[in-house]
Amino acid sequence: MAGRVAIAQGLKLGLLALLDAAAVWAAISLLLRGDLLPLALLAAGALLLNYVVLSRRAYPLRFLLPGLVFLFAMVVYPIGYTVNVSLTNLQTGNLLTKVQVIAQLEGRYYLPPESETFSYWAFRNPQGELRVTLLAEDGCSYLSEGSTLVPVDLTDPRFVRGPDGTVVAFDDFSRLPLAEIYRSLPALERLDLTWEGVHVRLATIREFRTYLRKYEYLRDADAIRDLETGVVYTAREGYFTSPDGVRIEPGFQIYVGFRNYLDVLTNPGIRADFSRVFGWTVAWSFLTVFFSFWVGLVLAYLLNDPYVRGRFFYRSLLIIPYAMPAFISALVWAGLFNTDLGVINRIIGALFGTKVRWLQDPFWARTALIFINVWLTYPYMMIVSLGALQSIPKEMYEAARVDGATGWQRFWTITMPLLWVSVAPLLIGSFAFTFNNFTIIWLVTAGRPAVLGAATPAGATDILISWTYRLAFEGDRGNQLGLASAVSIIIFIIIATISAVNFRFTRALEDVSRGV
Amino acid sequence: MKKFALWVVLALALGTLVYAQAAKLVIWADDRGAPVLRDVAEKYTQDTGVAVEVVEIAYDQIRGQFITTAPTGQGPDIIVGAHDWVGELAANGLLEPVDFGPKLAEFSAAAVQAFSYGGRNYGVPQNTENIAIIYNKALVPEMPKTWDELLEFAREITDPTKPMYAIVFQNGPDPYHWFPMLSACGGYVFGTDAGGALNPCDVGLANEGALRGAQLFADMIAEGLLPAGVSWDTMRALFFGGNAAMVISGPWLVADTKKAGIDYGIALIPSIRCADGSYGIPKPFIGVRGFMVSAFSQNKVLAFDFLLNYIATTETMLALYELDPRAPAHLPTYEIVKVDPDIAAFGLQGQYGIPMPNIPEMASVWGAWSDAQSLIANGQATPEEALAEAVQKIKAALKCP
Amino acid sequence: MYSRPSLVGLVVRYTLIGLALVYALFPVLWILSASFNPTNNLLEQRLFPANPTFEHYRRLFTDPTVPFPRWVLNTLQVSGITSVITVFLCALGAYAFSRFRFRGRRAGLLGLLLVQMFPQMLAMVAIYLLLIKIKEFIPWLGYNTHPGLIMVYLGGAMGFNTWFMKGYFDTIPRSVEESALVDGATPFQAFLRIVLPLARPILAVVLIIQFITTYSEYVLASILLKGTDMYTLSVGLRFFIQQAYDRRWGAFSAAAILGALLILAIFLPLQKLIISGLTGGAVKE
Repeated sequence: MAGRVAIAQGLKLGLLALLDAAAVWAAISLLLRGDLLPLALLAAGALLLNYVVLSRRAYPLRFLLPGLVFLFAMVVYPIGYTVNVSLTNLQTGNLLTKVQVIAQLEGRYYLPPESETFSYWAFRNPQGELRVTLLAEDGCSYLSEGSTLVPVDLTDPRFVRGPDGTVVAFDDFSRLPLAEIYRSLPALERLDLTWEGVHVRLATIREFRTYLRKYEYLRDADAIRDLETGVVYTAREGYFTSPDGVRIEPGFQIYVGFRNYLDVLTNPGIRADFSRVFGWTVAWSFLTVFFSFWVGLVLAYLLNDPYVRGRFFYRSLLIIPYAMPAFISALVWAGLFNTDLGVINRIIGALFGTKVRWLQDPFWARTALIFINVWLTYPYMMIVSLGALQSIPKEMYEAARVDGATGWQRFWTITMPLLWVSVAPLLIGSFAFTFNNFTIIWLVTAGRPAVLGAATPAGATDILISWTYRLAFEGDRGNQLGLASAVSIIIFIIIATISAVNFRFTRALEDVSRGV
Repeated sequence: MKKFALWVVLALALGTLVYAQAAKLVIWADDRGAPVLRDVAEKYTQDTGVAVEVVEIAYDQIRGQFITTAPTGQGPDIIVGAHDWVGELAANGLLEPVDFGPKLAEFSAAAVQAFSYGGRNYGVPQNTENIAIIYNKALVPEMPKTWDELLEFAREITDPTKPMYAIVFQNGPDPYHWFPMLSACGGYVFGTDAGGALNPCDVGLANEGALRGAQLFADMIAEGLLPAGVSWDTMRALFFGGNAAMVISGPWLVADTKKAGIDYGIALIPSIRCADGSYGIPKPFIGVRGFMVSAFSQNKVLAFDFLLNYIATTETMLALYELDPRAPAHLPTYEIVKVDPDIAAFGLQGQYGIPMPNIPEMASVWGAWSDAQSLIANGQATPEEALAEAVQKIKAALKCP
Repeated sequence: MYSRPSLVGLVVRYTLIGLALVYALFPVLWILSASFNPTNNLLEQRLFPANPTFEHYRRLFTDPTVPFPRWVLNTLQVSGITSVITVFLCALGAYAFSRFRFRGRRAGLLGLLLVQMFPQMLAMVAIYLLLIKIKEFIPWLGYNTHPGLIMVYLGGAMGFNTWFMKGYFDTIPRSVEESALVDGATPFQAFLRIVLPLARPILAVVLIIQFITTYSEYVLASILLKGTDMYTLSVGLRFFIQQAYDRRWGAFSAAAILGALLILAIFLPLQKLIISGLTGGAVKE
């Protein structure tokens, strides 16, 4: 036994040493590349790993760490990212970083009044250097020297002529055939030759052309000067803006502090619609979870009953809604609920001679949505309850039966409290998921029917997240990601608070279960 | 160890350098272009040695993924898309202006104009599309010329229990298919300023002309002549099942109409009698599809060479037309295919069409406008109330005075 | 748990099950109908199409633009690996939360619950950029790879499943592992050899739930995978359906039906595990 422990210990340390070696190697290569952020992450990860493996006190962490790594990378980090975006003006028109915008503007050219085009030949020497000779329309010819052009006389004997009389080589440079030119286009495209203040650049595969630079970035003033008109555009509110308010597109991202939050919290229109949307969101989540849980639990209970025949078969059929892609189910349901043409109204019409204005009347639209969502969710509850029912020791029922408890009493006094322990967190989770279930709302009603007189585009079935979507993506110029992030954070705070309160409730339950 | 690491790093760095050097074009296209583009790409590679990769992506994903990927440098060089994306993409600095050179004369001026934003052209147009009436000849003895005649016909054959409707169009809500009714007597989305540029603060969706069409729409639903909440699938089910005599739809419905075995015709949307007694022809939106080049492409010259010398040819444009039969924006190709009666019939309506506004401010319009349509269809508001509120919301979102 | 029901009780039971079956299968009939409908129509006026066809099913396996078998394979791979790793990692975490008392336990549990409540709609961009970055360093784990996607799914799967398992572990009496610990086993060995076998029902539940969730996940997979050969079933089918104006509902419905059968095939054997009771497991040990 002691020997095996020693071997296990040795293996563990050996593996750790190996991982550490790999980490050091990776760290060196990161350092050489200058990628400091990944380097910091790597160092933190390696230190944590060593601490967890070597320290006795961190023993529980050994169980938690593998899961936590994924949780942090894929859940916590995106939250941090969203917080960061919520402090910026990221939106249509302000997508790029300032560095990208300056680079793009400095790369803009315009054609001078008398633009000249040149045909060209490209040459390369064994060292891979690229040079071009340009032939202007007036017959003058030029040769590139670094990034400048110099007039050159192509009849000079240094230029070797081929059989067709054209230049094929000079010095140690030889001319590129067309196929080579295609392959070297990125390099040719980057050539920025100047001649007497004019830029000469590749315009098409076969031509160079004269250009003038459009913009110049003035580092000290943090401004852009239009070299064509002389107007200076200073950086203001994420755009380079001229004194009379003309903006250069594209704009760039800037930090705006808490402005997005203030926009949301102080906007009178948003405040007016908030309570209505919030109320429906809570009702929608609560009713969905409530009904789907009960439907699921009752079915699990029935299908766990050894006296019911064909349980296997029924269980399989009843999880089918869960196995269907949700969006196709949602679209089918929306069609079935159609007021004029839907099957449900045809059945109701045949039975009662009336039609229900599903999806058009706020009350019925909400009813239909909950009906659909319960359909989508109850199989989950059923499977979970099936599993949780197994955790209840049979002896407890035997004892209760001896005491003369009825089936109903046994269900409420034994099954439910024990079931609750493992299922309650899932119900909270399900509540949170429904709270933010954008897809179903969007596919079935898209938040409609519309509400006349609403200050913002908030329909009768809009939940907070779909309303956010409409505020952020159907307003202004679309894609107000900064604003959307801020609203997401606010929603998160709301739902986290609700859940934390619920959590205290489950904590009481957990302590009760300890006594069992 | 360290030396080894250094070598590895150097090799990696060189690898990326070499990778960046190799000229290669990446094109994102949907299935209405990709198969043809693959053939053209192959030819281009044969001619020039430059590799061209055509990545097939679902149409409604191209724009969003382009916006996310382009700034990272991982995006494509060329995308296929609609002209009304141009405003958003160009305002974000993601598109490279097109210099057509002498090729300009080969393209329909209107289609090129549709792709322009802020005075620059951002796309090589491929084809144009607009909606019109598609009707079932077995159910429509004579195509009504005016909306009054249409109503008469509708009262004759409509029977919701069967169901049977004279006319059906997507309205659940769907302002795109509703717009012809509003525009017939003078409704518009954005007005233009003196220079011809769209003015986002001049919204014409609640003017007298628009209200005329909206009222007609409300009355038809109230009278039971038009089913409400019709989606694309419902519309198809009704039309292909012989439960709708005519639909307002576009060239995209034609192939399936043929497959469903319907003897169809394409006609003008009936004219609407305006306040002054004259008849206004409904003006549909015109959509133009085309090719755009990324501002973050490392191979712009190559991309334009490919587009202007290999795509903008009669051969390629004809192949694209075969795959996706809509009116080509490339004039020499249009001359060849205009004998197709469907193209001609849609083109007839298209003469009256207006390009869908391509400025990013359009994002504020759809939601509010859709809400107005659904309020009207549900009878929750009069057209005046609903459209006035929509215009007010649009202007508020755009911070107009 | 159950006693023999009366005749009335049985009638009530079967009626409830019958009602549930109608509710569950009603819309599925329309999807089934569409899968046999030659006109690619999701909302055919009649439930029974005029001239039913197997064309859509045939097309799934023959159309070169729909590598359906490939997508099924990818999905099985991604969902299978994700759910198995999820079960293992969550069981580890749940065991620690259930059995050890350490500083930060309560806070950890609460934190685990709360971070799951963040609306994921905007997190996609962050995840996308992260995987692009990872690809620079570890190409097989980055953007447009299945391992990368699995990693993303694992992150999202940790929270609630850990909680659920912890609840179940709490109901397993500590006495069952104490004897092993006295014999000198490490907690990890006790966990592996004693607690895990006892927890089979819950492992099966988490496995099937995670499998189905991953199987039907669309948003993340559609952003992180590029190219038809890489797609999972949900992305592939969605791509396929959006690729044409005719909205290939027929073929899509056929695929949905086949996909549901696939899930059932996986669910059937797991059912036995799910309902193998705690005491049954304990006796076998």
